[in-house]
Amino acid sequence: MKRKFWIRVIIIFVAVAWSLWQLYPTYKVHNLSAKEAEKLRLSGKLDKLQSKTIKLGLDLQGGMYLVLEVDLQQLLVNLAKHKDDTFYKVMNEVNKTINENPDLDYFTVLQQTFRKHKLRLNQYFGKVTQTDQQVIADLQKQADDAVDRSLEILRNRVDQFGVSEPNIQKRGNRRIVIELPGIQDIDRAKRLIGETALLEFKLLKDPDVTTEVLKRIDEKLKELQEAKGKAALPEKKKSKASVKKKMKSTAADTSTKKVITQKDIFGATEAAKDTSAQKDTTGLEVNQELFNEHPFLSLLRDFRSHGGEIAVPEKNKYAVQKILNMPEIKKIIPSDVEFVWASKPIPVGNENYYELYLLNKEPELTGKYVVDAGVQIGSGSSFTSAGKPIVTLKMNSEGAKIFAHVTGANINRRLAIVLDNRVYSAPVIRSKIPNGNAIIEGMGNMDEAKDLAIVLRAGALPAPVKIIEERTVGPSLGQDSIRQGTFSAILGFVLVILFMIFYYRLSGFLADLALLLNMLFIMAILAGFHFTLTLPGIAGIILTIGMAVDANVLIFERIREELRAGKTIRAAIDSGYGRAFVTILDANLTTLFAAIVLYQFGTGPIRGFALTLSIGILSSMFTAIVVTRVVYDYITEHFTLKKLSI
Amino acid sequence: MQFFKKPNIDFIGIRKYGYMFSGTMILIALVLLIVQGPNYGIDFKGGVSMRVKFDSSVTVRMVRNSLSKIGYGNAEIKETSIQTAKGTEKEMIIQVELTNKPDEIASAVSAQLKKDFPKGLDIRSIDTVGPKIGGELRRAAIWAVLFALLLILIYITLRFEFRFAVGAILPLFHDVLITLGFFLIFRLEISLDVVAAFLTIVGYSLNDTIVVFDRIRENLKTRRRETFTQIINESINETLSRTVITSFTTFLVILVLFLFGGEVIHNFSFAMLVGVVIGTYSSIFVAAPLLVEWENYAPRHKKITEARIKKAHRAAKRR
Repeated sequence: MKRKFWIRVIIIFVAVAWSLWQLYPTYKVHNLSAKEAEKLRLSGKLDKLQSKTIKLGLDLQGGMYLVLEVDLQQLLVNLAKHKDDTFYKVMNEVNKTINENPDLDYFTVLQQTFRKHKLRLNQYFGKVTQTDQQVIADLQKQADDAVDRSLEILRNRVDQFGVSEPNIQKRGNRRIVIELPGIQDIDRAKRLIGETALLEFKLLKDPDVTTEVLKRIDEKLKELQEAKGKAALPEKKKSKASVKKKMKSTAADTSTKKVITQKDIFGATEAAKDTSAQKDTTGLEVNQELFNEHPFLSLLRDFRSHGGEIAVPEKNKYAVQKILNMPEIKKIIPSDVEFVWASKPIPVGNENYYELYLLNKEPELTGKYVVDAGVQIGSGSSFTSAGKPIVTLKMNSEGAKIFAHVTGANINRRLAIVLDNRVYSAPVIRSKIPNGNAIIEGMGNMDEAKDLAIVLRAGALPAPVKIIEERTVGPSLGQDSIRQGTFSAILGFVLVILFMIFYYRLSGFLADLALLLNMLFIMAILAGFHFTLTLPGIAGIILTIGMAVDANVLIFERIREELRAGKTIRAAIDSGYGRAFVTILDANLTTLFAAIVLYQFGTGPIRGFALTLSIGILSSMFTAIVVTRVVYDYITEHFTLKKLSI
Repeated sequence: MQFFKKPNIDFIGIRKYGYMFSGTMILIALVLLIVQGPNYGIDFKGGVSMRVKFDSSVTVRMVRNSLSKIGYGNAEIKETSIQTAKGTEKEMIIQVELTNKPDEIASAVSAQLKKDFPKGLDIRSIDTVGPKIGGELRRAAIWAVLFALLLILIYITLRFEFRFAVGAILPLFHDVLITLGFFLIFRLEISLDVVAAFLTIVGYSLNDTIVVFDRIRENLKTRRRETFTQIINESINETLSRTVITSFTTFLVILVLFLFGGEVIHNFSFAMLVGVVIGTYSSIFVAAPLLVEWENYAPRHKKITEARIKKAHRAAKRR
């Protein structure tokens, strides 16, 4: 008995000492004056101290929580080879099925759909010798691999972005969770993360070829329009145009420019179907005479005379893209080339123009050879980049070799630098570049250039990522939550303490002591094991305050019963603790199960609640059973009590 | 100080009133569940929810007008007042339901608000949940509850008996259903936090029930002369003061949380508040009486007890 008593006392003291030691950094940092903080920062000790404080969740300190999903559909398109129309048709069907029934397994649907169309998967994926099963297994492996690679790449990007204590984790098979505490510029962070960063160097087609293709599109479009109701449409349009003409006649240069609605190009039904077109009412800016003769070319402007490309006024961009997407038009564009937009508009007067490039589909070189990327301010020697931020690239030896070959063989042609399917710049190759150094122009500001350099350094994502869940908490809400949470906890604590003393007198005071220690232990465990305290976590602690006294209530009620049954004080205490112990164990373990399941299934905030509740349950069992018992034992050993204050 | 000196209430005798009350509440909950369905928050539906603090002069109408300019005039806008260090301030919750590109809505809405209310605007939080996630979370929540129940069922069967496990698990459905009923009646939103609260209610109510069952188990061993019903009734009475005191302290702190914990966990604390009361009620009026019902249909303990009594009588005669 005596030895057991001292062992317990020692355990309690060790626990308390450990707790105080764990909580000291939190206390210290919380009470630092600005001056002291600065001094510690200078000596480099502040970070170390702060890392030992209780970690606050995003909902308490503000920040951003993102759940990303790797775009499987796009990944498979990237992996496939010999892609033809049938392939895209079948893939679209797969996507449709998946979107309608998100529960289905993607690969099962893929296999079934291919089978339905009597296609073998090895036509597009893997090797010809592989069976469907093997191809699927391969694809699954590649998809898993893509997620892991994305995770690494995102981790790199976020690290270089400079967020303190980011948390990036894989969840399930396809998802990545990113937590960015205290982030200010949400949109910038989202861009940085979502960027696929597929960097490609593609040769431009010669101007003659481009002109030829444009002409053919133009003719085809005219043909199509004429085929669609010959007379009715142009008649109507003319009368409308003339009204507009009168209204605008004051402006000198509008004499040849007319406002034509999309109806004129796509026909009434087409335009009505297209509800997403906000520009329907805006009208398109075209040259009236040209429009009748050249429905497509009239939407474009020729910048080639001043060293540019074909350009499209911002207003017309949507219409042009739509024409390019028409299946009839797609057919007449050679299959080895594609139209790609510039990343940024060029302002001319009041108007913004987007350049449109005709590029070889097959890239000469991709970003996988890039070993380093940096940011510089463009020198005065180049008029397009002077004084503006540019991104410099350095390639590995293999890349440098290819780059030297490409530049050497295509002198005086233009090489477009394409990132995520947008052309950043398309410089003319003046000479062979042997060392594998390249620059990208066309950055709006320094931040943008820095972010681009980060994504290029970290590498390209194997497939685009979609943001499927996003939670952002501003710093002010976090502070309010802490204040309200702390206030509720303290008030609840005081009320329970008062009630316990009122109801159980001195024994109640003892239970309060246990409760106080319980709080101390919970906080120390949070700090010591680097758990995160969230708002629901505070709620969990508050709930624990209410439930923690339960063990003591059980014991005290039992002791009272035993006393009523006529036992001596010491015997009553002994059997009170002994009999209540089984009950406490059963009752608390079942609650603990519920909390553990909650922790397993829960997302960030809910986990916080389950965590503090679990810690609270365990710690309250210790304090209620061990701590109060020691005090009782000490008292009954050293004093002869006539009456127990309970 | 003692609330109950030596209570001797015939809980088993009045159990049919409890059944009536519980039955009515569950019926209301089920009818509402079928007729109007739960009011899922964006956690489960998918969509965007923003908390925005405005200058005091901004009204809901003004915000709605601003949002209609970008086509979100049908957004749900709720106004709440919050206590801050600077005094009372106005906060609005703007919710736009499920569309294809929720994160674009969030950017569009915040840009529009910044444009129209440049002064005194503070976007306090943005929650965006994709439509796919919503369904998944709903399923995950249901599985979590079922899994928790299974674990508990196994534990209680091992520690007690199967009939106790069933007697402990059934009231949990009862508690969650009735608490859900309150959410349906007041049209409160069911978010992830509320599901967490439901699971906590499960844990809490169980805690209460186990304490009563524990005493029943103990008394079954020691008091061999009494009938099963008597033992159960006495066990409830013996643990009554503990049940009431613990429920009282728990209720007290959750009430504080409900009143002062802030808008963010309001629904969470409301669920807990209702749950603690219902959980306490059910461990007295539903869980233990269920054991009696079970015994009446499949008497085992009764037989044993009667045999014991007979044996005792015989022994007494012989003497």
